[in-house]
Amino acid sequence: MERPPPPPFSSPSPSSQTNLPSTSSFLPPPASIPRPPSPVQPPPRSHTQSNFTITTLKAPILKSHPIDALQSRLGIPIPEMIFGDNHFTLLHTPSSYSLTFSAEPALDLVDKTGSTGLLKVHYATAWSATREKTSAGIKEVVKPFDWSYTTSYRGSETPSQQGKKLEKDEKARIPVELLQRRDPILFADEVVLYESELDDNGVSILSVKVRVMQARMLVLCRFFLRLDNVLCRVRDTRVYVDFGEERVVREYTAREGEFGEVKKKLYMEGLMPDQITIAFRDANQIAHLLPVVEHEVESVCLKEEAGQGQEGR
Amino acid sequence: MPGLPSSVDLDECISRLYKKELLAESVIEAICAKTKELLMRESNVVHVKAPVTVVGDIHGQFYDLIEIFRIGGFCPDTNYLFLGDYVDRGMFSVETISLLVCLKLRYPNRLHLIRGNHESRGVTQSYGFYTECSRKYGNANVWHHFTDMFDYLTLSVVIDDRIFCVHGGLSPSIHSIDQIKIIDRFREIPHEGPMADLVWSDPDPERDEFSLSPRGAGYTFGSQVVKKFLDVNKMDHILRAHQLCQEGYQTLFDNQLSTVWSAPNYCYRCGNMASVLEVGENGDRMFNVFDAAPENDQVKDMQMGQDKMGEQGQLPDYFL
Repeated sequence: MERPPPPPFSSPSPSSQTNLPSTSSFLPPPASIPRPPSPVQPPPRSHTQSNFTITTLKAPILKSHPIDALQSRLGIPIPEMIFGDNHFTLLHTPSSYSLTFSAEPALDLVDKTGSTGLLKVHYATAWSATREKTSAGIKEVVKPFDWSYTTSYRGSETPSQQGKKLEKDEKARIPVELLQRRDPILFADEVVLYESELDDNGVSILSVKVRVMQARMLVLCRFFLRLDNVLCRVRDTRVYVDFGEERVVREYTAREGEFGEVKKKLYMEGLMPDQITIAFRDANQIAHLLPVVEHEVESVCLKEEAGQGQEGR
Repeated sequence: MPGLPSSVDLDECISRLYKKELLAESVIEAICAKTKELLMRESNVVHVKAPVTVVGDIHGQFYDLIEIFRIGGFCPDTNYLFLGDYVDRGMFSVETISLLVCLKLRYPNRLHLIRGNHESRGVTQSYGFYTECSRKYGNANVWHHFTDMFDYLTLSVVIDDRIFCVHGGLSPSIHSIDQIKIIDRFREIPHEGPMADLVWSDPDPERDEFSLSPRGAGYTFGSQVVKKFLDVNKMDHILRAHQLCQEGYQTLFDNQLSTVWSAPNYCYRCGNMASVLEVGENGDRMFNVFDAAPENDQVKDMQMGQDKMGEQGQLPDYFL
């Protein structure tokens, strides 16, 4: 790609500064670095392990027209970093069962009317108290919605041809001990679905991570919200697949804690103030400090039963 | 105005910063002190003449700042107006703001720096600049020097009496430019009031008037607000930054307002384009769109490592 031509500027007008010394001595040489291609859409990445195929797509954020279209479908303003083309898909090839994670259905679960009670930034009270003096005429609130983009999204499921789908299973669990083994990772990826800086009042991010080993795989779809000086929230959806049993376990865990409490716990862990600031940017350092407020496990076995019922269980 | 200490050679500083070398803490201290003196004499509304190239958010993306100079011309051959948000998010906030401040001191009438909402103590403590200063200098002194200087940055610029330039947008407390001139700006950005609104507010193309944000603080402004402001002040355009746009720019309200965004591939992962807006002598406006500088690739792994993977750094990530 050609470098854009230099703009057609006239020489600086003499009024603003005269007698300019030569500047060529400290300017870097004109760049002759070959131009990288524009941020084109990369192809999807794909990996097949026994009867399962995993696909991820990572594309740039949406352009303004798709953003407008998405906004009118959802009826709420959408996060400024919207990776609307991104997805993670798990497909069980023999049965056509699939579980997909993408931004639009996740945002569709955001409270669009503020019926659940809206969060407010920590200085909201002070703000509205002082502003009454200067601009009391402005009463109209932009259509209320959950601007923290909290979602309980667990993925979009397409049942198998036989109609199998995830069902509540209190006995099912994800075998953490097997996942702690350092089995070689054959495929790994991380896909961000959306992110908002909440006008610099914290962060709200939904992303999906996957790692595939020989015999099993783990997906973590995590929503992380930090509303500065108010609260932290984590909504984790873990999907575990045992390739041999062709069994899918989905575990949803919602955690939430007051900002000050989290800070106290980080302090108790021995972190210095600077380290606490850094920790607050990293959901991995926060999640375990938050009390669990909701937990649910589901499972589905996709193995063809071949008239023998549930073999190997 | 007393000069810089004789040990500080601005041209040499600029030359080193173009190579992305850090300046010594004592040099930063002297330069920030000097810049304060310079900025103190600027009005809250600085008047400039076209031609000028207007730059939006940079956010510490140093290589992309250099790319802007390569595309738009180096200082002082091209006049520049920067709309704020020089620091936070990117990897090289210190280098970015050091270079811009040195250029401002060296060519005070060729380069103007407006204050963005990130030029503040509060925001930079959460979003990276504080951490970067502490990491690169071993203590927070440099952060103090810079953030003390931020308190003196101007709030707005008017180009050729026609184009009003600000970081965020309009305020319900401000109808005429004269009301900006009387703000006491030499302070930390407050949470509320006209100064906060100028650096924080966003346009809302679906509305006519000011509205309250559902967040409980802050405003959006609509088409009638823009029209009224331009009428009262006899201007024809508002130019601002503050919001990410995939195409690098966005125009709203029948071309009465533009957003210019100058951080390509924002946060090293958004894949967005960036632009600078070139205002010509006859007042015409041309967006020069560009994408991320090739040098970013050299530090890509580091960026992703720091940003996404926490302390463990490289793959494989045995997350649970």
